[in-house]
Amino acid sequence: MLAYVARRLAYGVLTVFGVLFFLFVLFFTVTDPDDIARRALGEKALPEVIQQWKVNHGYDRPLWPWQDFDDNMLFEHYRRMLSFDFGRSDTDDSLITERIRKGAGPSLALTVPLFTLGLVVGITLSLLVAFFRETYIDSAGVFLCVLAMSVSILLYIVGAQYLIAKMLRWFPISGFDPNPEVIFRFLALPIVVGLMNGFGSDVRFYRTVFVEETGRDYVRTARAKGCGEGRIMMRHVLQNGMIPILTRVVLAIPFLFTGALLLEAFFGIPGLGSLTVDAIQGNDFSTLRTMVYIGSLLFILGQILTDVSYSLADPRVRLE
Amino acid sequence: MRNRLHLAALATCAAALATCTNNPYPDEDASKKVVYNTFVEAPKTLDPAVAYTTSAHAITGNIYDTLLEYHFLKRPYTLIPGIATEVPEPEPRTDGRVAYPFTLRPDLLYQDDPAFERGGKGRRTRGIVAADVAFELMRIADPAVNSPVIEPFSNLVGFREFSERLTERRKNEPGFAELPVPVQYERVGPIEGVRVLGPLELEILLANPYPQILYWFAMPFTTPVPWEAIEHYDGEEGRGHFADHPVGSGPFRLVQYDKQFRMVLEANPNWYGVRHPEWRAPGATYPDEGEPEDRQAGRLDPAVVGRPLPFLERIESRREKESIPRFNKFIQGYYDASGVIKESFDSVIENDRLSPTMKDRGVRLERSVAPSVYYMGFNMEDRVVGAAAGERGRRLRQAMSTAVDSKEWTRLFLNGRGVPAHSPLPPGIFGYESDYRNPFRTVDLDEARRLLKEAGYPGGIDPDTGKPLRLTFDSYQTTAQGLLQNQYFVDAWREIGLDVRIEASSYNQFQQKVRNGAYQIFSWGWVADYPDPENFLFLLTSEMARSRSGGPNTANFSNARYDQLFEKMKARENDAERLAMIREMLAILETERPWIELFHPEDYALYHGWLRNVKPAGMAFPTLKYRDLDPALREERRREWNRPVTWPAYALLAAGIAIVLPGVRTFYRERQ
Repeated sequence: MLAYVARRLAYGVLTVFGVLFFLFVLFFTVTDPDDIARRALGEKALPEVIQQWKVNHGYDRPLWPWQDFDDNMLFEHYRRMLSFDFGRSDTDDSLITERIRKGAGPSLALTVPLFTLGLVVGITLSLLVAFFRETYIDSAGVFLCVLAMSVSILLYIVGAQYLIAKMLRWFPISGFDPNPEVIFRFLALPIVVGLMNGFGSDVRFYRTVFVEETGRDYVRTARAKGCGEGRIMMRHVLQNGMIPILTRVVLAIPFLFTGALLLEAFFGIPGLGSLTVDAIQGNDFSTLRTMVYIGSLLFILGQILTDVSYSLADPRVRLE
Repeated sequence: MRNRLHLAALATCAAALATCTNNPYPDEDASKKVVYNTFVEAPKTLDPAVAYTTSAHAITGNIYDTLLEYHFLKRPYTLIPGIATEVPEPEPRTDGRVAYPFTLRPDLLYQDDPAFERGGKGRRTRGIVAADVAFELMRIADPAVNSPVIEPFSNLVGFREFSERLTERRKNEPGFAELPVPVQYERVGPIEGVRVLGPLELEILLANPYPQILYWFAMPFTTPVPWEAIEHYDGEEGRGHFADHPVGSGPFRLVQYDKQFRMVLEANPNWYGVRHPEWRAPGATYPDEGEPEDRQAGRLDPAVVGRPLPFLERIESRREKESIPRFNKFIQGYYDASGVIKESFDSVIENDRLSPTMKDRGVRLERSVAPSVYYMGFNMEDRVVGAAAGERGRRLRQAMSTAVDSKEWTRLFLNGRGVPAHSPLPPGIFGYESDYRNPFRTVDLDEARRLLKEAGYPGGIDPDTGKPLRLTFDSYQTTAQGLLQNQYFVDAWREIGLDVRIEASSYNQFQQKVRNGAYQIFSWGWVADYPDPENFLFLLTSEMARSRSGGPNTANFSNARYDQLFEKMKARENDAERLAMIREMLAILETERPWIELFHPEDYALYHGWLRNVKPAGMAFPTLKYRDLDPALREERRREWNRPVTWPAYALLAAGIAIVLPGVRTFYRERQ
């Protein structure tokens, strides 16, 4: 397995190099560093101030190695990203590492409970509908899932803010406060929206897995031996259905750090998702390329973790 | 056992529902004098020499004390002493120069800050001296600081020379640029026109009469800044940048600054108003005089008149990017003030007044015309619409100006929140005359067609092509709403036969076009720095032409008589002669039409009844120290307005059980 992981890591490194090159081309060949500087400093900025800003941000070098092999933006871009020295934001000069550090807490405060509850709710409901398969509960479940999947998350957000926060006044409409006394109030509504948005596809997928498992020989054998339906579902079906579930779950874990873009943006949670949206809106290329780079690293990590978790969950799977 | 578990689960659910609340604040703050504000984007910088936006001044204006300030209630705006002992009188010199002597109040302290350790171990603050003001003026002159207000301070004797000396030494003297900034300034020597005459005495010497300089001393640009803070907050070794760590001496200090999330100001115990209430300084005591309407509005309540400032303990600004949630939280009582959002305009304002629903909630509406102007401009260097086209171009501009109905535009796009503009001067500024009607800003399509015919474009047809005259309207508005707003003007011009095409581009591309002079028609706006006609009329002087000096005269308008009048007008007090000059200048603009003046925006602001001493300032000058609130009334209203409605939760639970239970029963019956 170690050899497999090492090979995947090597592929991952190559992918990261490719992503970095793509990012460089995307950001620096279509935008003039002078424009970035002018946006940050204002139209009235003097040429020497613009030049100094470019020096501070490393944008004063030639773009390509063939223009200056020892000192060029491409190599500098690779050096910075690979050494996790992300530099400063293009918009306000703040350290990007510091912004990421500050944003990770609020993001995790939202995504970890959302992920955990989503998993619990998804598996519980799918076990329920699989248990009551081919009854009207199953049909109602399928109908609700398809309905939930068909609605845009934006509608859930606006609807929940209007109905739950404004009309019923259960939670604040938006905002965030890390104070333990009030943090739950702010997280409740985005978590409810996140669950509403995600449960449809999760339950449909898990139900398919569990229904398929319930038709297998070992279930019939267990039932013949007098095992109760509840025990069959919880002990046998759930355990054997874990592999496809792991695919979805493990792949999602690394992305808990990058936050939930829309939920954070609309509910005013100052996490990494919100940071990314702000970077897009504010043309903050340095922050944006960092977030894209981190996203790609986490994706590769998620892929490797998924493969490893396969072999751990199912002894029949061998990584070679 | 199972039943007990079910009961426990139900009890937990019921308890959770019972504790549900939409209150975004900790309960302990309910009884405190904390004002809750919002911001959409954090200011890019809080450096007082650089920050120039309204949102930045809302913070820096309360942290940094200024030598002078505006009277809170008097209109027209009146300067009063701030940390200076009095408003200085100009002292003309025989060589044409003018001096302004300032004396600072004694025993002024900066807020506590670790930066002061640089001046001595264990020091947390120090007294303010005149040299700190001189230091800040040097920072404005320093090209590396990138201050946007270099131009007005160039009137100071030796200002440009200081800047050149500094640049020269940084460029040519090895190691000089690496020295701490205060050391660099010391080695370069002072600005000649900024003379520190004693620990608290300072003299400003202007090369020419420029009475408006005093207004600049009522803005944070000229606040005293401690050199220790500049040296300390250099961004090295985790110390952060000065732009994010304001160190001032004002009524409030910044205690939390998270650009993504929250800004918190707290009353500064070192402020002179707190330490020396017995001085009864004008800027540290609630005023006892104002306008007649102030008494009616309760702003001259005997209970507050003469009381030492500030009244608030804390000001919390929370980031709210979306307007609807922001407004809803105001309605719920969680924000103390709000603007009127477009989506809720009709439910808030009825027949130009506050709706009964809002009145019942105790909400107050304050309306004020902002000292600003929005306009469309012609590039006067363009061969078709500009000065080069002579009388033909003049008639064309007059025709286009006569065709545009800005009142209808504000009705359609701003819910009517704007006063149609007839000249660059907004209401409240000396020279504005409410009965003045610009004939070319009075909509008359027949007259516009006649003018167009006189211009040599009968029916809008260009005789050279035989087709409607084609012009371009360059805009940086690329959103659907922005394009629609511009389309309104294009349609108005189409009515008189012109073919105007919108060329929308990004702001940067637009700026590039402006730099290259590749534009014919554009739209722009200007918000006053200070309440003087000079601050509007300078926008059309030859000296400020974009093509010549990169100045804000984007129309590149150049008229010798206008320039001559401007020079005389700007140096005069507000008297009849000055008014006559302004009238003549406006008459030139009326005929020449480098601008189509559109409107002066009107601000509608809503305040809850518990917030007191609120008067819209128009300009971004700090008024938070005058505000007060009644936390008990606020808490009472919040509780009344925000009782959670819990029955739908129980109904939902019951419906869920009612749906699932028969299914479970049937399932088990069938299995058995």
